[in-house]
Amino acid sequence: MENPETPDGELVARTQAGDARAFDELVVRFSPRLYGLVYNMTSNHEDTNDLLQEIFAKAYRSINGFQGKSSFYTWMHSISVNMAINFLKKRNRRMTMSLDDVDNGIVNDPNFIEATSSRDPRHQANLGELQKKLNEAMMKLSHEHRAVVTMFDIQGIPHAEIAKVLKVSEGTVRSRLFYAHRQLQNYLQEFITN
Amino acid sequence: MEHEEEIQKLLRLKRYEQPPPGYFDDFLHEFQCRQRAEIIRRPLWAVVWDRFSSIAPSFHVPQMAYASIVALALVASAVILARPGSGPATVASAGAQAFSLSPSNPVTIGETLPVAFTPTGSPSVHYVLPNRPVSYAPSRSF
Repeated sequence: MENPETPDGELVARTQAGDARAFDELVVRFSPRLYGLVYNMTSNHEDTNDLLQEIFAKAYRSINGFQGKSSFYTWMHSISVNMAINFLKKRNRRMTMSLDDVDNGIVNDPNFIEATSSRDPRHQANLGELQKKLNEAMMKLSHEHRAVVTMFDIQGIPHAEIAKVLKVSEGTVRSRLFYAHRQLQNYLQEFITN
Repeated sequence: MEHEEEIQKLLRLKRYEQPPPGYFDDFLHEFQCRQRAEIIRRPLWAVVWDRFSSIAPSFHVPQMAYASIVALALVASAVILARPGSGPATVASAGAQAFSLSPSNPVTIGETLPVAFTPTGSPSVHYVLPNRPVSYAPSRSF
């Protein structure tokens, strides 16, 4: 494999020059991040896997059109979000959730402890239930709102970067987040301490 | 918002949802296999279209250029079709006139000689052009 310090831009240039192994390195580098993005939008592992394969295939086919006006990271996120939204529109109502494994580290997370250890019996949710509720709440959001919540709250991408990915203003990103959080608050009321 | 932070904390827990162990190790291999299969399966027009659409943004054509070209083509088609005497029937009659062998417009081929007459004297007569050599150079023998 390539040197981990090799900049994305160099790997992109080598791919454009016909070096397929450089693109392999980009796949290794970006697949975990893009998996998180697509998985949290589809809530289904098999769909995420298929979609992620198609995303990288499309990126490879279109890489000569990438001119470096944005970062490769932004470009890949744009392709991923657009393809995920198109996929969700087609999938429509035949959605089935397949929850991924939860890393054991979650049980030590103060947020998890806080959410599941309240004296209120309604809060006595176990890990599986909390995961299910979170996913159900996410799936009730519109595709566009879910994309913003995934990128900002789950992946920690700043507003400005999300705006570039979605090609909207930062104000639109903030407004979508506000509206999505308000909806999620209603769905997740039982896990919110008063 | 009052509970904004709590919602954000709950959402952050979704970071712990991960694919099965070893998933990312196999992902690249699966990608390479799919790519090879796709190359074999894809029709030529799809490959050409992909190549075109990937390089199209680098053409640096002015904004709305494609729309202008399409609009110009439509206008040109409309003008050609609307021009008097350019309909299909007119073209056919013009063609008929151009190839007419009527006595007023005879076609002269040159000096011809009859080579055969039918016994019944029917007008079916065959002619050949005079056998004039175009060159006196000796013919090649192989």
